[in-house]
Formats: sequence, C-alpha cells, structure tokens
Amino acid sequence: MPNIISLQTIKETLNAQIIVADSGLDDMIEHVYASDLMSDLLAFGKPNSILLTGLATKQAVISAHMAEFKGVVFVRGKLPKDNADKYARDKKIVLLSTQFDMYESCVRIYAAMSPGVLPTSATIEEQPPEHTLLSQDFHIQGRDFSNAGNVSTEIKEILKKIGIDSQISRRVAISTYEGELNVIMHANQGTARLIVSPTAIEVIIKDQGPGIPDIEMAMQEGFTTASEEMRAMGFGSGMGLPNINKNTDELRIESKINDGTTVYMKFNIEK
Amino acid sequence: MTVQELIKIMGLTPLSTFEDREVKGVFISDMVSDVMTAAKSGNLWLTIQTHKSIVSTANLADVSAVVITGGKKVPQETIDIASKYNIALLSSPLPTYTLAIKLHELGIEAE
Repeated sequence: MPNIISLQTIKETLNAQIIVADSGLDDMIEHVYASDLMSDLLAFGKPNSILLTGLATKQAVISAHMAEFKGVVFVRGKLPKDNADKYARDKKIVLLSTQFDMYESCVRIYAAMSPGVLPTSATIEEQPPEHTLLSQDFHIQGRDFSNAGNVSTEIKEILKKIGIDSQISRRVAISTYEGELNVIMHANQGTARLIVSPTAIEVIIKDQGPGIPDIEMAMQEGFTTASEEMRAMGFGSGMGLPNINKNTDELRIESKINDGTTVYMKFNIEK
Repeated sequence: MTVQELIKIMGLTPLSTFEDREVKGVFISDMVSDVMTAAKSGNLWLTIQTHKSIVSTANLADVSAVVITGGKKVPQETIDIASKYNIALLSSPLPTYTLAIKLHELGIEAE
C-alpha cells in the first residue's frame, strides 16, 4: 500500500474517542488490519499498522504490541475491558474507540488516505554488543487468561533494552506469545526460558500439560483442540504452532502424553 | 446487486450451493456474537472465521452471503452444513480490508 496516514487523521475521520494517546497521534500508519482473530494478526499483520477490531480486550492490545502495531481502534463503540487501556498506556500503543462498524471504518480510513511520501528512516540500527549473554526463566500460570501475554511482553522488553533488532524481537515476541498461550490454554503451568547469545536468541517453553498426540497434525493450519470459550476470545483458531514455525529459524517440539510438551525455538541474529 | 452478480464482478469462489438473493450492505467481524448483535438482514458478511458455527450464525442473522477472506482454507464440514441450509459460502484471496475497499468502490455502502 503506497499511502500513509497519521493517527491524528484516523482519529478525525472516525470521529473516534481517545482512550489512550499519551505518546501523541503523530505516528504514521502504513497498513490497516481488520480482524478479531488474534493469531491471524500475529501471522499476517505488518509493522506500522493499525488494528481495527471488535475484540475490546487486553489480548487484542497485547497482540498489536507483539506485532509492532502503532494503534488499535475498537469499533462499534466498544470500550476496553480487563485493563486493556493500562497495557496500552504502558506500551505506548494508541487506543481509540469509534461508533462506526468495521466496514464503515475501513472505508473511511481508505477515503482519508492520500498519496504521501514514505518517511525516511532516521533511526540508526543498534547492534547488540558482542558480550551480551543472558539467561532468564519465567513462570507461566495455566488457565489464567487474565495474565496471558505477560511473559512474552516481559521478554520483548528485555530484548528491546539490550538492543536486539526490532525485526528479530518481533519474531521472538510473536512466537513466545503463541507458545505462552498454548501453555495457558492446555496446561496447568509451565516455564519459559530466554537465552541470548551473540549469535542467537533461544526460547524454550516447557509445560506439564496433556501432551500433543500428533505433532504433525498440530502443525497444520486450522487444526485446533481449543474450547469455544478460547475461540470466543479470538484464540485457538489453529494458527499457533504454524505461526511459531513461520517465525523461527529452528523449531523442535517434544511431547509425551500426560507428561508435557517442550517447544524449543531458535532465532538467529544476523550480522 | 445479487450474490451471483457479486461473485462474477469480484471474482469470488462459491464453496456451497445456495439460492441467489440481493446483497444489502457489508458487515465485518470474526466473532459470531457480534454478527448476531449487529449484522443486518441481507448484509454481506466478511470474516476469516471458518468454524462451522458461522453457518448457523449466518442463518440466524439472515446475511445474504459469507465471504471467507485471505484465502483461508474452509473445513469441509463447514461447507457441507452451508450447502445443507442453502447459505452462500464464498471465498476471496484478498485480505478483509482490501476486499472491503473494493466493495466500497463498487458502490456497496454500509446499511
């Protein structure tokens, strides 16, 4: 899409109410993504996008943050539930609410988009220092949807702090989030281990869950064993493991029925 | 404009058997609860949700057709149930946003 539009223009064209915009409305948006299924967003959403969704939950905002989106618009006048606004404020995501429905919102943003010049990238890419070496463990509480995304958010913050390239940390964040959700959906508890070396980032997610009977089948897009409740939250559409596969340089899954599953993910740091 | 006309103009792929009818407006959502609440009779429903529950939702909300966007693969079970209830189930390779813009350019407005 050659056109870009500012958050300010989007706010005006949608007559939107500002819920969170502490970081201002000057950022430019390059793509629009309209969906309520968060795994799809994590698989196909592009950075510098805005998310239009009817899913007014913290999970929607976390997904947008993982995918490096600039903002989220809740359609049909929906307002944030479960501290979605607090998360957006912490992560500097702009949160708007419009009375228009999704179709009308798409059409209005498109109409307001005028041909523009893509901003030149003024950011200097920071190289991770050679001596960076880090290993940290995180606890994942199963069945606790209210805290889903906490671990991947924390890992994303750490990678940002130590200067990992945003393209790589985005892939790590998305994969870790999907892995974290799998633990929450299926197991009572689990752990995530983050290991950073000068050449690669590794994330190992281990749970004491029911195990995966057929890993090959679980890797297929659309295959799911999630409950209706999980689907209602925009998850469990069978995109989790395929999405992890797409974002990792190396993926190994070991699983034993009634014992648990270990997902080993590796992301190479290219020089 | 009818569903059959729309299929021709937009290059949509019909997946189920159905009775042709008039398209009035567009509704976008992937949550069945939202469609039940807010979609209007005759709306064209765009979604990436492919679970079989979309068929009963389409039936109850009385939408004119369901378009699965982004070229998402639709389970055979969903297609079979759609054919059984004469619900038009169509497929488009375009992402939801892009298809919405094309429908707008065709002159289909929100109802």
